[in-house]
Amino acid sequence: MSDQIPVTVLTGYLGAGKTTLLNRILTENHGKKFAVVINEFGELGVDNDLVVDADEEVFEMNNGCICCTVRGDLIRILSSLMKRREKFDGIIVETTGLADPAPVAQTFFVDEDVKRATRLDAIVTVVDAKHLLARLDDTKEAEEQIAFADLILLNKMDLVSEAEAVEVERRIRAINPMVELIRSTKSDVPITSVIGRDAFNLERILAREPEFLSGEDHHEHDSEVNSVAFEVSRPIDPEKFNTWMSDLLAAKGQDLLRTKGILAYPDEDRRFAFQAVHMIADGDYIGPWKADDARKSKIVFIGRDLNRPQLRRGFEACQVAQGTAA
Amino acid sequence: MSEAAELEFLLGQRGTSHELGAWVIGLAFGREGRSLHAGLGDGTVRVAQVSAPQDWLSVEAHKGAVLSLCADGQDGAITGGDDGRVMRIAPDGTATELAKFGSKWVEHVVAHESGIRAASVAKAVHVLDAKGGLLKSLAHPSTVGGIAFDAKGKRVAASHYNGASLWFVNAKEDKPRLLDWKGSHAAIAIHPEGGHVVTAMQEMSLHGWRLQDGQHMRMSGYPSKTHSLSFTNKGKWLATSGAEAVVLWPFFGGGPMGKAPTELAGGDGVMCTQVACHPQHEMVAAGFEDGLVLLADINTGRVLPVAPPGQGGVSALAWNPAGSHLAFGTESGFVGILDLSAR
Repeated sequence: MSDQIPVTVLTGYLGAGKTTLLNRILTENHGKKFAVVINEFGELGVDNDLVVDADEEVFEMNNGCICCTVRGDLIRILSSLMKRREKFDGIIVETTGLADPAPVAQTFFVDEDVKRATRLDAIVTVVDAKHLLARLDDTKEAEEQIAFADLILLNKMDLVSEAEAVEVERRIRAINPMVELIRSTKSDVPITSVIGRDAFNLERILAREPEFLSGEDHHEHDSEVNSVAFEVSRPIDPEKFNTWMSDLLAAKGQDLLRTKGILAYPDEDRRFAFQAVHMIADGDYIGPWKADDARKSKIVFIGRDLNRPQLRRGFEACQVAQGTAA
Repeated sequence: MSEAAELEFLLGQRGTSHELGAWVIGLAFGREGRSLHAGLGDGTVRVAQVSAPQDWLSVEAHKGAVLSLCADGQDGAITGGDDGRVMRIAPDGTATELAKFGSKWVEHVVAHESGIRAASVAKAVHVLDAKGGLLKSLAHPSTVGGIAFDAKGKRVAASHYNGASLWFVNAKEDKPRLLDWKGSHAAIAIHPEGGHVVTAMQEMSLHGWRLQDGQHMRMSGYPSKTHSLSFTNKGKWLATSGAEAVVLWPFFGGGPMGKAPTELAGGDGVMCTQVACHPQHEMVAAGFEDGLVLLADINTGRVLPVAPPGQGGVSALAWNPAGSHLAFGTESGFVGILDLSAR
């Protein structure tokens, strides 16, 4: 639905350059108008016609799912902004440095009104190249903001050496192998690299493929959030996959921050895309497999305490029985 | 609706319509019945006289958007806006600022015929007297999702996260009765006889409390969120939006606990977005996501088509106090006014 207004979520630790990026987006001459939802602890003033103060009220959904949280304030604000949607082209939501991105992302999966009127364009995380490693060691929010990012602005590049930058990028990729990384200084990047990315679209899932089957485990002893990725070549039995995934999300959803997959179903010419934020899952058929594509199913988990052999066995067991492959 | 073309819509026979050009957030007739007020997403309030429903004047009420609108105590309407102001709009369109609460949004306003008004701003409900003076500010644990006066104007209820708070407006010491229920509560209504409070929840169900004994009432099964709640005149039924029919819960014979709701005007697979019960009769006006507006007689189930689909999802409905005129407004800024009085 082209009618839906794109929403860009900006996260990042205090002092990383989030507000600088926001002001760049707003002042660059691109002819687009944005409504901006800022948190009350913003670092700098934001100069824009339509600025809304948000309280970051995180509400648990009373639906038996303990990790299903939404941002109550966002639901109210976005629903209200929709009633004057002709006044802007997009919405930017800035979160506080200490915010967990999960409730923001889940709001776009769970709330019907928000889903109908808006679409999550991308979660953009601004990180400070100089201080990220220290932040990752002492806070869980910094890890979560990286785990949830579709795009990371590796900012303050002027303050680090090339070797330091490479190490920071390696740590980021260990947490989130799919994220797009952009190096910057003073958040100076073209607006088109940040806005209008459509990164949350199911069709864009795995647009950047992690290194599958590299043989190298992405386990990091010094980093709590990790990722694992698997690829199988026989088609996936949808029933087996759904049973496995719903059991897995119910049992481990709190530790699974993000799950993304592209699945080949038997006798189906279209790819099935799947994504989940904690226990909240979404999936649909996307475009057809290309004629020369190897129809391999792929899945990536980002989370805590991931049991790699168990997840691998589980995914492999979702394949149709040997010999019945199309 | 293939048979829609064959149906006679009341709007064509007894109505006038108008394009206002922005999302209709709320509609209210003045309590004396003279004027009709429409609050819009562009910050204006449009005013028409019931005697000349084709002539609308535009009042620049708020800098951003009108967030809520209701009939004021005697005549005219009051509005809350995202510029932090509460405005009074007289029947002739004269706008007066009643209160200003900084840059915060005034998300909900309600008024009672006694002249008292209440406005919610973030976690607070501010109670204003008939002259616009601030009587008191009532604090809540989280942002207020909806407010309602009881029929006598003695109590005000505010919904929020994990329940609702019920306050006596004239209490010397402000201490609410907390109505607990886990989850996020928005739209709220008090039964006309004052014995029940009902809220619509984020979890796509309703929750109610019988005040006499604190008995909980769970009303679930909605495929989407309920935004609109309306009790019939004597409170026998509670009409609700949020399903592909008008869902009515019985508040008699021991209900709604253990009773199935009555569903009216369903079958088209289109979501009901607004409901408004007739001020005297057991009849409900309902608006749907496709723009269809209809009237349903609750006791016979008979449905009268009011306006055909196609002018945008119905976002507001209002009766005049005499019950002779019905107004509806849509997301695309279309309004219709119907004269249903006997001819």
